[in-house]
Amino acid sequence: MRQPDGSSTFLTTRVETMLRWVRKNSLWPLPFGTACCAIEFMSVVSSHYDLARFGAEVVRFSPRQADLMIVAGTITDKMAPALKRIYDQMAEPKYVISMGACACTGGFYRAYHVVQGIDELIPVDVYVPGCPPTPEALMHGILKLQEMIQNGETHHDRLKNRNDDAAAIAG
Amino acid sequence: MTASRTETMTLPQSQADLLPKEGITSVELGEDGHTVLTVEREHLVDVLRSLKETPGLDCDFLADICGVDYPQRDTRFDVVYHLGSLEHGHRFRVKVPVAEDDATLPSAYGIWKAADWFEREAYDMFGIRFDGHPDLKRILTHEAFHGHALRKDYVPSQRWLLTEENLMTPKWATEKRANDDHMDTQVLNLGPSHPATHGTLRTIARLDGEYITEAECEIGYLHRCFEKMCETHGWQQVIPYTDRLNYCSSMINGVGYALTVENLIGIEAPPRAQAIRVILSEFSRIMDHAVCLGANLVDLGALTNFWYFFQIREEIYGLLESCAGGRLTVSYARIGGLEHDVPLDFEEHVRSLLASIPKFINDVDKLVTTNKIFRDRTENVGTISAEDALAWGWTGPCLRASGIPYDVRKAHPYLGYDQYDFDVPIATTGDTYARYLVRMEEMRQSLHIIEQAIDTLPPGPVITDDHHVALPPKEKVYTEMESLIWHFKLIFDGIKVPPGEAYGFTEGANGELGYYIVSDGTGRPYRIKVRPPCFAIYQAFPHMLEGTLIPDAIAILGSLNIIAGELDR
Amino acid sequence: MKDLSTVNVDRGRIPLSEQIYLGPIVRGLAVTLRHFMRNLFGHKDVATIEYPEVKRQYSERLRGRHILTTRDDGSLRCVACYMCATACPAQCIRIVAEENPGAPVSAEKRPKIYEIDLLHCVFCGFCVDACPEEAIIMSRQHEMAFSNRAEAVVGIEDLRQKGPIDQEDLGYRPYF
Repeated sequence: MRQPDGSSTFLTTRVETMLRWVRKNSLWPLPFGTACCAIEFMSVVSSHYDLARFGAEVVRFSPRQADLMIVAGTITDKMAPALKRIYDQMAEPKYVISMGACACTGGFYRAYHVVQGIDELIPVDVYVPGCPPTPEALMHGILKLQEMIQNGETHHDRLKNRNDDAAAIAG
Repeated sequence: MTASRTETMTLPQSQADLLPKEGITSVELGEDGHTVLTVEREHLVDVLRSLKETPGLDCDFLADICGVDYPQRDTRFDVVYHLGSLEHGHRFRVKVPVAEDDATLPSAYGIWKAADWFEREAYDMFGIRFDGHPDLKRILTHEAFHGHALRKDYVPSQRWLLTEENLMTPKWATEKRANDDHMDTQVLNLGPSHPATHGTLRTIARLDGEYITEAECEIGYLHRCFEKMCETHGWQQVIPYTDRLNYCSSMINGVGYALTVENLIGIEAPPRAQAIRVILSEFSRIMDHAVCLGANLVDLGALTNFWYFFQIREEIYGLLESCAGGRLTVSYARIGGLEHDVPLDFEEHVRSLLASIPKFINDVDKLVTTNKIFRDRTENVGTISAEDALAWGWTGPCLRASGIPYDVRKAHPYLGYDQYDFDVPIATTGDTYARYLVRMEEMRQSLHIIEQAIDTLPPGPVITDDHHVALPPKEKVYTEMESLIWHFKLIFDGIKVPPGEAYGFTEGANGELGYYIVSDGTGRPYRIKVRPPCFAIYQAFPHMLEGTLIPDAIAILGSLNIIAGELDR
Repeated sequence: MKDLSTVNVDRGRIPLSEQIYLGPIVRGLAVTLRHFMRNLFGHKDVATIEYPEVKRQYSERLRGRHILTTRDDGSLRCVACYMCATACPAQCIRIVAEENPGAPVSAEKRPKIYEIDLLHCVFCGFCVDACPEEAIIMSRQHEMAFSNRAEAVVGIEDLRQKGPIDQEDLGYRPYF
């Protein structure tokens, strides 16, 4: 998409902006819920907080149909291969929100069976603190992710830019 | 109150004479009312069998099996069995010392089926082997794990990484069978990340067409090392960890833990704290049942109920947040009472909830209870007989749905539950529908208890004034030197719980929630073992699956209310 | 198991009125229709909170992000006694103390570094309970999101109270 000198053409920029706008308003979440945070995630999708207002109500448990992975809960060493596999199965563009202390850093489980932050395994776009985060905090995280998608600051964009640059240099 | 509870569990002298003569090296009365037997390994099976089968002793209920590590002793490990008789109410703690180089015991699986997973856990955590166990292998940790995590010489942060090659597959799933080439026979893997498995449960099933012929469950996907973490934290610091056991009803866990430690210290929370604990525990029970039934109904395709039930939860969250500051993980109970008094509008708030919650329960009642589609999906599905349920160590609503009216709140009252008038809902059919009906009725009974508790809510302090246990009030800390010193000592040294051990149990939302705690007199727990009700319930699940349809398996699983945080700890 | 008051919830066989599907289904539809109508005309049952425009009434005790309180002269009340760091079950507080020259004896130490790793924090409030100086309290600010882990480690300047204490959004603290 990008020219060798780093600029982009007018048309592709417009298309890119529109694509980002479309993507940010139709995030289909895959809740990788394992623990307490999953219960708060349920709150977010039910009547009081109603995630549908942000276009993200289509909760998909199939990685092929989702583009936002919300890791809600502790990831243990036993679960780690499953998390990695499911992330790999998701189609690009894909985004990850790490919800709660356990997913972000392992929280207060500095222990023999707990992954000390899922960024050991997969790239994370937004970290939401809390144990568990309140529904508002998670929605705030989703809004922040939408902003990041619009501004092209997500891991997906960084990866894509890097690949484009590499292609431009090679070509 | 504590005294009367201990009495209900102590073995009367007439029955003490019935104990077998051989193999028991000592008989003591524990501080928690349990009769503590120390048994030689050679006679273990005989003693356990006679405890179960001698009329008058009738220990039909195996609550828990766990190990305790004493590295400085010759016989390094104690294996501890907790037994009880539902009929007589007495409780036993059977201890068997074993040496490290010969840590082998006969399995109790032949006596109580409940021993199955508990023995596997003791093997996983301590390396104690059980002869005659049907399938002794790791349960909570994974296949690539080395060492035994709860041994005292295991470093808490030592991790072992699992790769996909090491994923567990049952032996029978890889065996070649005669009709394997037949298109209808296959091995199906459900979970660990599957919407119907509620997070982190994994079931591997062999199918014959739509029917499950063989199944095995793999757990430990949420093993967060609760017990090891307890040993590295102070007594009070364990409270936030207990919140995350059964996270659907975190208040009950904290209260159960606090009660057990209070029992060991020999103190009691003030009456006001007890009443508030009852009110919030019962609200937590309603919350827990709401999410269980809601999720179960979603799995069966009835989504609306989930939203009605979640409104109940949201309203209760509001109350918990106003008292404790947290919605889900409340950290409100403290050893000796509660963190703070309730806010001024507490009574009003509770009464408004008492008025609004029944509406949602009634809505769901109207939507599904008499609905024939729902009844067809759940009746005669996942039926378990009373004998089987008890043999597997079931407790709580699932056991009561099979017709056994065992409720810790009635059988061994704590927190003054004997002063409240409520009924124990039971059903006789033991199927998924019965479990649904029991939970619905329990929510109504809980509301009834709360009503009485709020009417009689006594004034007074909410935490004990014993400065060895509770932090002094803040205004004194700021002004008085003595209080500041107590405060300082409690923060840096922690609560000094006298050496000893106790098994405390309360009625959790899923059944008997037990804490077996061992103190060596320092500021940290020596050993805390949780007896999670889900653990016993879930081990029967693969056996219930045999011969059922796959969609029925989902309905059964939802009705058992397996909470991974509590199952794997 | 003596003198237990139990209530049997068995419903027995399906009565004929329920056999024919229709009654219970109409009753169920009536329930959902009632909710629908009430939401449509009167907004009586609408539970949804239009976040972020509308926020619900948070509890006075909500455990959110921490605040380090200051004295009247603007210096931190914290005396670097390490009690909060000791009481913290997540070990997410890092304090480095330094001498406070010229201060009275009661405040001879002060924190040179005071960091909280918000991603390790479990918001249990134990630090607030442990503080003997009311130097650390919690606000009700709980909506946070970070794009990397380093950003979440906040120091004195981020945590210090911004203006007069009664203008902060106060949450969990010793008196309320």
